[in-house]
Amino acid sequence: MNRTMRTLAALGLALAAAPASAQTIKVGLMAPLTGPWASEGQEMRRNVELLAAEQNAKGGLLGKQVEVIVEDDGGDPRTASLAAQRLSTKGVVAVIGTYGSAVTEASQNIFDEAEIVQVANGSTAVRLTEKGLKYFFRTCPRDDEQGRVAAATIQKAGAKRIAILHDNSAYSKGLADEINGILKKANANVVFFDALTPKEQDYSSILTKLKAATPDMVFFTGYYPEAGQLLKQKRQMGWNVPFVGGDAINNPDLVKLAGKEAAAGFRFLSPPVPKDLDTPEAKAYVTAYQKKYSEAPSSIYGVLAGDGFRVIAKAIELSKGTKAPGLREALTKGVKDFPGFTGKISFNEKGDRVGELYRVYQVDANGNFVLQP
Amino acid sequence: MQQLLEQLVNGLAVGSIYALIALGYTMVYGVLRLINFAHGDLFTYGAYLGLTLLGSFALQDRLGPVAGLAVLAVMVMGLVALLGALLERAAYRPLRGSPRLSAVVSALGASIFLQNALMLIYGARYQVYPDVLPQTAVEVLGLHIPVVRLAVLGVSVAMMALLFLFVQKTRVGTAVRAAAIDQDAARLMGIDVEKVVLLVFVIGPALGGAAGLLVGLYYGQISFTMGWVYGMKAFTAAILGGIGNIPGAMVGGLLLGVVEALGSAYLSHSWKDGIAFFVLILVLIVRPSGLLGERVAEKV
Repeated sequence: MNRTMRTLAALGLALAAAPASAQTIKVGLMAPLTGPWASEGQEMRRNVELLAAEQNAKGGLLGKQVEVIVEDDGGDPRTASLAAQRLSTKGVVAVIGTYGSAVTEASQNIFDEAEIVQVANGSTAVRLTEKGLKYFFRTCPRDDEQGRVAAATIQKAGAKRIAILHDNSAYSKGLADEINGILKKANANVVFFDALTPKEQDYSSILTKLKAATPDMVFFTGYYPEAGQLLKQKRQMGWNVPFVGGDAINNPDLVKLAGKEAAAGFRFLSPPVPKDLDTPEAKAYVTAYQKKYSEAPSSIYGVLAGDGFRVIAKAIELSKGTKAPGLREALTKGVKDFPGFTGKISFNEKGDRVGELYRVYQVDANGNFVLQP
Repeated sequence: MQQLLEQLVNGLAVGSIYALIALGYTMVYGVLRLINFAHGDLFTYGAYLGLTLLGSFALQDRLGPVAGLAVLAVMVMGLVALLGALLERAAYRPLRGSPRLSAVVSALGASIFLQNALMLIYGARYQVYPDVLPQTAVEVLGLHIPVVRLAVLGVSVAMMALLFLFVQKTRVGTAVRAAAIDQDAARLMGIDVEKVVLLVFVIGPALGGAAGLLVGLYYGQISFTMGWVYGMKAFTAAILGGIGNIPGAMVGGLLLGVVEALGSAYLSHSWKDGIAFFVLILVLIVRPSGLLGERVAEKV
C-alpha cells in the first residue's frame, strides 16, 4: 500500500468514526414512558423533543446538533437505576428528569459519580437537594415550599378540624409531614392523618373512616388518579366536605376521572397549568406544541422538563462547553432570572429553583381549573 | 356501630370482585396445578373491552339500560373467554408436560405481553367509563348505600352460584371435577381432558372479564396496570379459601374484602394490606391448605 492510499484510508476511517463521537451534543431524558405515570412521561418526551428540534433548527448548540437520548424509567426506582447507568455510558452531557421523587433518588448518585448534570422536573421531595450533590438541579419547587403554601391555604380557609391523607410515596408522605408539622406548630387541630394504598379502585373504606373523624377540610397529598376516585366516591357517599390537594393532582384528567359534579369546588396547589402560562415565550411555545402534536400540553411537569432542556442549553452556551463543573457554574451563577415557560428561573447553591411558583386553583362547575387570586 | 356496618358493606362489595377473579385462578390451578399470572390482565381486558363496546354499539340507547348492560356483559364475557382460550393455546398448551416452572414463566411473559399490548392500543392514560349507572342510594338501618353497590354484590354472588351449580350438578361439571382430582384416571374414564382444560380457560376468563366490566362500570376509572393489584388480591383470596376449591375462592374473596375494610377502619388504613396478608399467614399456619381446601394425604 503506498502512502497516498494509506492517508486516504486513514481519512476515511476518521470520517466514518467522527459522527459517533463529537458532532452532536447528547442530552439525556429519563422519563416514565411506561408504568403508572406513563402519560406524564410521554409528555416530558414530547416537550423535550420539540425543543431540541427547535434548537437544532436554530443551528443547535456550540455549532453542533443536539441529540436527545431517551431512556424509560418505568416510574420505578429499580428500572431508573438501570436507565441511569445506560444513559451515563452513552456520553450524555446532561440529563433531564425524572418525575417521581423516589425514582429520581435512585438515579442521583449514578449521575453524580459519572459527573453528569441532572435537572429533575417533577421530583419535589426535600431531601433530594439536601445531600450536597454538586450536579443535581430541579426546575420544580420543593415540598417544604408547597407545605408552607398548603398550611397557609388551610388556615386562610378557616378550617378547624383538618384531615391529612397521603399515599405513603416519598413525595406524598413528605408533603403530608411538612403540612402536619406546620399546622401542629400553629396549634391547629389535625383530627386524621393516615395513608391510602395507591392504584386501587375502591376507597370507600378510607372515606368511611375519614367521615367518622368529622373533619371540616381534607387535604390529600397524593396523585390525580386516586384524587379522582376519592372525589367520585365521596359524592356517591353523599358526603360534602371540601377537599384540597397538592400539585400532583394538577392534571386535566382529574375532571374526567371524577366527573364534573364531583370535581366541582375541589381546590389544589400547583405551579401554573400550561394554559395559564402568560409570558409571550410560553404562549408561542404552547401554540407550537399544539401544532406539532395536535393537542395542547396538559401536564405542567412536561413543560418543566422543557424548561429543564432550555436551562441546560443556556448553561452549555454560557459555559461554552459541556463539562459538568462548567455547567454547574453556569447554572448557579450564570442563569439568573432566565425567562422559562413557567416563570423566571434561577438556581441556588443546592440546586433548588428560587422563587415562589405555587398558585391555588379551584375546579369550577364546568370542570375548568380556575386560578384563584 | 354504623361505621362497622358501613365498612362491612364496603368490604363485601370489594370482596365480591376479588372472589370473581379468584375463581379463575382457582379453577385453572385445580385442573392444571398452574398459577395463571396473566389472569389479572384478562380482567383488565374485560374492563377495556367493555368500554369500547359500550361506546361503539350504543347498546344503552338501542336496548334500554338493563338489556343493554346484559348484552354488553355477554359480549365482554364471550370475547375475554376467547382471549383466555387463545392464551391457553399459545402460552400453556405447548408447555404441557414440561416442568411447572416453565409454565409459570410463560404465564408471567403472557401477562407482560397483554399489559403492554393494551397500553399500545389504548395509550397510557387512564380511561373513563361514561356514567351509565343510576346514582341513587337506599337508606338501610341509617346507612347510605348506593344501589349500584348492592347490584355489584348481587351480580357477583349470582354468577358464583351459577358456576357452583354448573360444576356440582352437570355432567360437564363432573368431568371438570374428575380432571381436577386425577387427570390420568379421568382420561381412562373417557373424559377428554384437553377439552376440560379449554373449558376452564373459557369460564375463568369469562368471569374475570365480567369482574373487569363491573369494576369499570362501577368505579369508572380503568388503567392498563389495574389487573396487577386485583390479580394479587384475588390470588391471595384463592389461597386463603384453599386454592383449587371453588367455594373456597368465594369465601376467601369476601373474607379478604371484609378483613381489609375492618382492618383499615379500626387499625390503620396504611397497614390495610399488611393486615390482610397477616390474616392469610395466620390461616395458613392453622390450615395449610386454606380455609376450605381439602387436606391432601401425604404420599409416603
